Amino acid sequence: MIHFSRSLTRLLGELKKLPGVGDKTALRLAFHLLKSPDNLSALAESLLEVKAGVRFCSICFSITEADPCHLCSTERDSTTICVVEEPQDILAMERSRAFNGRYHVLHGALSPLNGITPSDLKIAELMQRLEKGSIREVLLATNFTVEGEATALYLTRLIKPLSIRVTRLAHGIPLGSDLEFVDAATVQRAVEGRSEL
Amino acid sequence: MQSIELDAVVLGVMDYGEADKIVTLFALEQGKLKGLARNAKKSRKRFGGALEPFARLRLQVTLKDGLSTLNGADVINVFPHIRTELGKISHAAYACELVEQLVAEGETNTRLFRLLTAYLEHLDRVPQDASDRRFFEANLLKVLGYQPELARCACCDGELAAMQQLRLAPSGTGILCGSCARTGRPVSSDTISLLIRSLSTGRFGLVRFPPEGLAEAGAILDAAIACHLTRPLKSLAFMEQVSC
Ligand SMILES: [Zn+2]
Ligand SMILES: [Zn+2]
Repeated sequence: MIHFSRSLTRLLGELKKLPGVGDKTALRLAFHLLKSPDNLSALAESLLEVKAGVRFCSICFSITEADPCHLCSTERDSTTICVVEEPQDILAMERSRAFNGRYHVLHGALSPLNGITPSDLKIAELMQRLEKGSIREVLLATNFTVEGEATALYLTRLIKPLSIRVTRLAHGIPLGSDLEFVDAATVQRAVEGRSEL
Repeated sequence: MQSIELDAVVLGVMDYGEADKIVTLFALEQGKLKGLARNAKKSRKRFGGALEPFARLRLQVTLKDGLSTLNGADVINVFPHIRTELGKISHAAYACELVEQLVAEGETNTRLFRLLTAYLEHLDRVPQDASDRRFFEANLLKVLGYQPELARCACCDGELAAMQQLRLAPSGTGILCGSCARTGRPVSSDTISLLIRSLSTGRFGLVRFPPEGLAEAGAILDAAIACHLTRPLKSLAFMEQVSC
């Protein structure tokens, strides 16, 4: 067993807390950083900067440095809100360039088995935004997992009575896939959601 | 080591690290087991969207003590209609959590597997009915050997069918006759008969409790289940919070 200095041991410990990093990877990353002191300083500084500057947007609860975030403050369609589970889901929506409205991040999804209930998510905050009256459509873009579906169903129940249109991302055959290899549940939903040509 | 095939229901899924999942399963051939699905979040080829709560799968597993290795899964049924109603999702999750909590690892129980899959299939097929939850609970207790005594007074052993003013025993594990109990929740003999019928017919949808009977059956079964739980059920708290 090799013994490292106290500071190196601490660095390895912190690296191993990152997702997907085990003993070997932590060691490889640490030695890589130590070989280039410039990179090490840059990484340290950027971590401190992130810690000091990044927070949740007070409107949509995405991650931002300026509050409100640029998606909440720039020119976009303010009558439509897209609801997502996590901040990184906004990136997926934005990459698609298919949506030009506002966003709302729930920070999770309802889960009966893990005990995640509405009060654990930013649902009350969403309802406050809707009560202001200018929203005409809510697009539910939660994941197509049991938890994501449960969340979409719960939100539908809350939002429908406000006479706001509630829509869900279509659930279909992945682009570029052969029908014969697609699972039965996906095919079923795709048939139910079929569109006129 | 050899990979075997199991017919199993997913009782719970936990993210593990960046891409792995730990899945709790109830298998026809093996009872309850825990398995590690490496790279499950990224490899749609091996697991597809199959590792989801209450899905029924054909699994390829390498059995090990403690944590088995899941090599792949094919969906038998994800119960797509359960997934379109919040109440159905909650009840399916509740059934899975009950099995997860009340069954020890590695004990096969074919009847319990049939009961769980029959309940999921029923939930998937017909509109939700509160009687079905009580039917499932009554039969779950029976299959596990925890069935509350419904024919005789828990105190004097007198036949309940001939008696009036029945009450739920304070311990929760049985019924008391009118001469043995003056306090405790009253239960009607009609409810007791419906519970006995629930245990003698093997099919969902045949026993329907009227509203008062539903509340009484609920009190009897909730108390009987609570005796065997080591922690409160998350899915039950969830159902109460979202009222479904
Ligand atoms: Zn924002
Ligand atoms: Zn008695």
